[in-house]
Amino acid sequence: MGSECEIREWASTPCVMGIDEAGRGPVLGPMVYGCLYCPVSYMKTLSTLEFADSKTLKEEKREELFESLKGDEKIGWAVDVIDPRELSAKMLRKNKINLNEISHQSAMGLVKTVLDLGYLLTEVYVDTVGDPDKYRIKLTERFPSIKFVVAKKADSLYPVVSGASIVAKVTRDRALQNWEFDETAENMHRNFGSGYPGDPNTKSWLEDHKHSVFGFPSLVRFSWGTCEPYFKGGVQVLWEADEADDDDRKTAKRQSKLSNLGFTGMKRKSEDIESSGKGRCKFFQSRKLEQLSHF
Amino acid sequence: MKGENASSAGETGTIDLGGVNSSSSAVDLTDQIHQLPSCIKYSGPSPVSHYFRPKSTGIEVDGLNVKEAHFRGRKLQGTTVPLPDGYSGFVLGKKTFAKRKASDTNGGMTTSWRTNAKFQNITLWNHDNLPSKEDAFLRAFHWFDVAKALHKPVMADDMESASNPGATATD
Repeated sequence: MGSECEIREWASTPCVMGIDEAGRGPVLGPMVYGCLYCPVSYMKTLSTLEFADSKTLKEEKREELFESLKGDEKIGWAVDVIDPRELSAKMLRKNKINLNEISHQSAMGLVKTVLDLGYLLTEVYVDTVGDPDKYRIKLTERFPSIKFVVAKKADSLYPVVSGASIVAKVTRDRALQNWEFDETAENMHRNFGSGYPGDPNTKSWLEDHKHSVFGFPSLVRFSWGTCEPYFKGGVQVLWEADEADDDDRKTAKRQSKLSNLGFTGMKRKSEDIESSGKGRCKFFQSRKLEQLSHF
Repeated sequence: MKGENASSAGETGTIDLGGVNSSSSAVDLTDQIHQLPSCIKYSGPSPVSHYFRPKSTGIEVDGLNVKEAHFRGRKLQGTTVPLPDGYSGFVLGKKTFAKRKASDTNGGMTTSWRTNAKFQNITLWNHDNLPSKEDAFLRAFHWFDVAKALHKPVMADDMESASNPGATATD
């Protein structure tokens, strides 16, 4: 989603872009990557538009600024909304993808989208929570023609990133407000709070929506550590994917910590679930067939 | 239909399949039976249809229509397969009672199973992987053909073709 309706006449002049994210920390709702781009020559004007780190602005001010930048013919924008189901699924896959990798893919996707639209990007400013140097090298390898500036707190340093943070934050807030539940359980409500784990409204929403078998509605990011305390006494679910963690000390440690709370699963001996198949004909072994004499 | 089962451990029990054609009270759970790639340490009722929401993806693999669903944050990909002709799925409920006759010597307990529900298809789910004909559960269906071949009475012309290999094409 973005301002791709028509290519602006300044597309072929050198352009600058800012990229920022909203909703990385929250335990529920989508994570949004947003970008804002404009001609390099417009940067001075941009710095007079009162864009600031979206977190320091009130919601009404953010909405107002978003509307004004949408109406600005010298500004383009785009967003990538990453569904909480996708976040959970990727982070809980057999081959787990961490949040940094998901973030990098999303940011690079935005750069590619805008390049493909025909804009001549020469400089891109990116906010990061991870190591800026490694990230800059990764971005430069993928897009050698672009000069990347990667910085922590870039949203408060560069107006073009502040603008991107407004795009991202407003989109995230709207996506959460307009979230349509996939689930049809009774007594669900929309008092999510901010989604941040410390928010009392978010805490009580989680408490109200936990389910002993299903966990939570799919709005929740199941891969967040925040979820575990809600599952003390919940039904234990074991996954084959968690077994592979034995190879990876670090992950294994984390997993077993989670499993103590009876939520994410635990390392277990395969005998728990199926017999070893010893002495069985190969035909049956490979088809996981077993003769039962009593059940 | 009533089946009597005597196991090697000496335990006896009955399974009441309700009669294939009789108007039994068994619920039809066709389209509602899911096999998940996880072990859920719970047995009992749960609001499955409120939380587990399979969707069609439009993707087809090995002629199988791929569905997608999420369970506990994991993405599952699955497919609904009909049970072979002549076979049905049964959900059995256990009824255990003490035997009254003193002449029963095998511990005094017998188990009987009653059909609570029947089904004609099952949806098989994989974690991360697309469903395929090579999945163990689908390959288990091979047994139906093998069992038939093994247990079918041998007829005269079977003997004939066996002693004349190549006379009849077999697969």
